[in-house]
Amino acid sequence: MNKLKNNIWFKCISILLCIALISGGLLAILNDLLYVSPEERTSRAISKIYNEQKEYKVITEEEIEYNSVGKINKIYEIEGDLLFQSTGYNGYKNGTITVWVKIVLEKDSYNIDKVLLESYEKQTLMSKLGDSFYNKFEITDVTEKYKNGESFTPNGSGEMSNPVSGATYSATAGTNAVNTVIKWLGENK
Amino acid sequence: MNNEYKKIAVDGLITSNPTFKLVLGTCPTLALTTMAMNGIGMGLAVTFVLICSNLIISLLRNAIPNQVRIPAFVLIIATFVTIVRLVLDKLLPSLYESLGLYLPLIVVNCIILARAESFASKNTPLKSVCDGLFTGLGFTIALTLMGAVREILGSGSIFGLKLWNFSIAFFASSAGAFFTFAIFIALFSIISEQVEKKRKIAKYNLFDAQKKTEVI
Repeated sequence: MNKLKNNIWFKCISILLCIALISGGLLAILNDLLYVSPEERTSRAISKIYNEQKEYKVITEEEIEYNSVGKINKIYEIEGDLLFQSTGYNGYKNGTITVWVKIVLEKDSYNIDKVLLESYEKQTLMSKLGDSFYNKFEITDVTEKYKNGESFTPNGSGEMSNPVSGATYSATAGTNAVNTVIKWLGENK
Repeated sequence: MNNEYKKIAVDGLITSNPTFKLVLGTCPTLALTTMAMNGIGMGLAVTFVLICSNLIISLLRNAIPNQVRIPAFVLIIATFVTIVRLVLDKLLPSLYESLGLYLPLIVVNCIILARAESFASKNTPLKSVCDGLFTGLGFTIALTLMGAVREILGSGSIFGLKLWNFSIAFFASSAGAFFTFAIFIALFSIISEQVEKKRKIAKYNLFDAQKKTEVI
C-alpha cells in the first residue's frame, strides 16, 4: 500500500480524479439550480420579438419534418399572430440554423414580420449573418409564395440573391428555416 | 508586506497589463470590443475566473504533481468558466449571447493559464487572489477602453446610448479593431516609458541626495 502511495503516477491520477469529481459534483448542483427551461427560453424569445412579455397559445410543439428543407419545432399563437420556431437544413458541414419567424395576418395576406436567430449547429461564420440578413425576409407578403409552392432562393436570383458572401452554406440554412414556415403555411392555410 | 501587494496591483494594472503590455488574450480583445458593454462583461468574466482559479491552484500547489499540473489547471479553470456560463445564461442572457463563442474559450485564455503557471502555483492564496483581481481588472479596463473608443467612433454611441448620427464604419470592423489596438499599445508604451523615466530620475535624485549627505 505504501509503495502504491509513493508511486508518482498513482498520485497524478488520484489528484486529477479528485479535481474532476469535485468539479463535476459542483457543476451538477449549479446546473440544477441555474437550469433554463425550454418554456423560459420561449418567453425570452417572445420578449425579444414583441419587446414585452406576451401570453401565448400553443398550436403545436411536435416536430413537423420537411425532408430536404427543414422542420417546424413549435408553433404558437400570440394575439392573432403566428410564431414559428423552425430549423433549416443544409448549412455548413450539414449543420442547421434555428430561427423564430413571426407571421402577421394583414387583411388576406400573411406577412413575415420578424425573423430572429435562436441557435445553430456546426456553423462557423455566423457573425456574417447579421441583422441585415434576417431583415431581408421581413415585411414580405408570403401569401403568393405559399399558394404557388414557391420559396426564397438562398443563392439564386430574386430578392435573396447573393445574400451573404463567404457564408453561403449558413445563409442557405437560414433561408431554409424561413422556407419551412412557408411550406407549412402552404399546407395548412 | 504592503509593498508586495502594491507591486502586484501596479503590475496587473500597468507595468504587466495583460492586454496592452504583454499582448495576451488578443482574440477576445479584437473580436468583442465593438461595444464597451461587451468589454466590461468579458473582462469581469475573466476576472472572476482568474480570482477563483488562482485561489484554488494556490491552495493545491503542493498537492498537484508537476507532471500533471497543466491538465489540473485546465480542469480547475474549465470548472469556473462553466460556472460563469451557467450564471450568465440564467441571469444575463443578452450578455451571454453577445459574448457567444468567446465565453467557453476563456478556458484556453493565455492570461489565466499564464497567471496559474507563473504566479498562483508558486505563491500564497492571498497573493494569488490579489494577482487575479488586479490582472483581471487590467484586462477589464483595457477591453472597456477599446470597446468605448470603437463604439463611439464606429457606432456613434456609448454603452448602447446614441450620442450622434456620425460614425466611421472602419472602427466597427476587424481592421478597425487592429488599428485601435495598435494605437492603444503605442499610447500605453509612451505613458509607461514616461512613468519609468520619472521613477528613474526620482531614484537617481534620491541616491544623489543620500551620497551628498554622506559626504557632508
